[in-house]
Amino acid sequence: MTSLATQPAGRSRARRASAQEGGAVRSGMTLAAYLFLSPYLALFIAFMLLPTLAAIGISFMRWDILGTPEFIGLDNYRQIFADPLFLTAIKNTFYFVFLTAIPMVVLGLALAMLLDQKLKGTAFVRTVVFLPYVVMVSTVGILWGWLFDKGTGLVNYYLTTIGIEPVAWLKDPHWSMPALAITTIWWTVNTNMIIFLAALQDIPEELHDAATLDGAGPWQRFVYITLPLLRPAMALVTALTIINGWRVFGQAYVMTQGGPEASTFVIVQYIYLAAFQNFEMGPAAAAGVVLLLITLVFSLAQMKLMKAI
Amino acid sequence: MQDQRPNRAGKSLGGRALAYVLMVVVTALWGAPILWMLVTSIKPESEIYAYPPAWIPDQPTLEAYGALFQRFPMLTWFRNSAVVGILTTVLTLAVDALAAYPLARMQFPGRRVIMGVIFATFLLPYELLFVPLFLGLNSYGLVDSIFSLTVPASANAFGVFLLTQFFQAVPRELEDAAVMDGCSRFGFFWRILLPLTKPGLATVAIFTFVASWNNFFWPLIATNSDETRTLPVGLATLVGGAGMSMKQSVLMASAVVATLPTAIFFLALQRHFVRGIAATGIKG
Repeated sequence: MTSLATQPAGRSRARRASAQEGGAVRSGMTLAAYLFLSPYLALFIAFMLLPTLAAIGISFMRWDILGTPEFIGLDNYRQIFADPLFLTAIKNTFYFVFLTAIPMVVLGLALAMLLDQKLKGTAFVRTVVFLPYVVMVSTVGILWGWLFDKGTGLVNYYLTTIGIEPVAWLKDPHWSMPALAITTIWWTVNTNMIIFLAALQDIPEELHDAATLDGAGPWQRFVYITLPLLRPAMALVTALTIINGWRVFGQAYVMTQGGPEASTFVIVQYIYLAAFQNFEMGPAAAAGVVLLLITLVFSLAQMKLMKAI
Repeated sequence: MQDQRPNRAGKSLGGRALAYVLMVVVTALWGAPILWMLVTSIKPESEIYAYPPAWIPDQPTLEAYGALFQRFPMLTWFRNSAVVGILTTVLTLAVDALAAYPLARMQFPGRRVIMGVIFATFLLPYELLFVPLFLGLNSYGLVDSIFSLTVPASANAFGVFLLTQFFQAVPRELEDAAVMDGCSRFGFFWRILLPLTKPGLATVAIFTFVASWNNFFWPLIATNSDETRTLPVGLATLVGGAGMSMKQSVLMASAVVATLPTAIFFLALQRHFVRGIAATGIKG
């Protein structure tokens, strides 16, 4: 195929032709472009755009699965914000984001820097850290549910061997959310590590060499070369970590079912409960819109912050 | 993951020793849970709760796997996950590649708007969509069907994003020459562009399959019978209510069975995973 491109005759003919045709080619191209796009656009409109608009619409309606929908203004929003369970869900989800965001970014970068070195075995360690990526959330929940068991779990066993008192983790409202956070970090920090690794490998080696010649130590090189050049990756990782944090559900659903004492009850579980257990579609949609607004505010704030730094 | 970087930090012996100590700690922390899952799944009942915990079973046995397949419709769940995963992957590849071609290589009005809207969905919490999607599919009687598990997931922004980058890298001259030789746009797309961008297609295929295989929340809502239930949803029923008394060896066997396909996929095709994540940072 490449031989086609290297024929000078073919190339010049192509140039001449495209110069002559102009407008006709362009409108033909528009038609062709939309033909190619049409299957995607059809699916996108049907299963992404319309549902998004519908969710916003339903959030202003009374809609039990039976009966006709009825416009009720902001009543659904008043209802969920008067519901202590929803406020608990927001508080718990925020706590989860708080517990995971910083470790996920810092540990992601630390792992990337450790495994970016030219040392034997780094490829193996990267594979091990990456392996949890392919484990499904039910399995993660089943596995860590046992690891965190008070009596028979490995976590308490090894903590005891170094002299730390065992705690009930998933059965203790104070420790249930930290346990979910640890599980999540183990499960997903690899994504952040890979993004940082890719960014580290884009930093020209000469920059480090030049700085070393000028007498910069490892810490100075990290602060003045690595960190500034990692800013785009840092922005991406932070945004993804925070958004995914607000969307947490599977781990909580499988490991604690929102308990104990609603200590791991999160926003998405509130949506699930309202819509698919209580069949109150209006409040569920309203909670979904609140989740959208929260992630939007956090993304925008984070973008502003990254620009300011 | 294969490439090795020149040494940056730890050039000294001490630095290197520290790096190795950290690498051992990291390997232990990330590898131990997976190893424990494997080891427990082949332990006989008498050894599961042995104190102190044993990392090598005395008398390995496959009885937990037997019990798992006997007591739960594992094969049905497994088959459903495979069918849903393969259909979603094929559909996503077709639709995303067709969409990425004009976005990458044609100038037309509306291009920027479409790009912007597609990539904005990266930031959308999909959970927002599930109530209207459920209601919509329900009104057509499509809930609890393979359709509801495959088609809605196929308009995938990640695939378009990645393939657009791959398609842009193919030289312009190739397309001009092919058109001069009487090749239609679709002919160029099908016979030249796709074969030249196989690595990109492979990356999208792998990501789509793993994401589909592990997808939890939507199948939890959209299925209500074992006939359509996928593995993640089926396995979640093992720990809730009915499964409380389940032996840990059986639970761990379920974990091994569920992880095996994607783990093999991953170990064989690591490069593609790394490229996909590095490009967009999407968690499946």
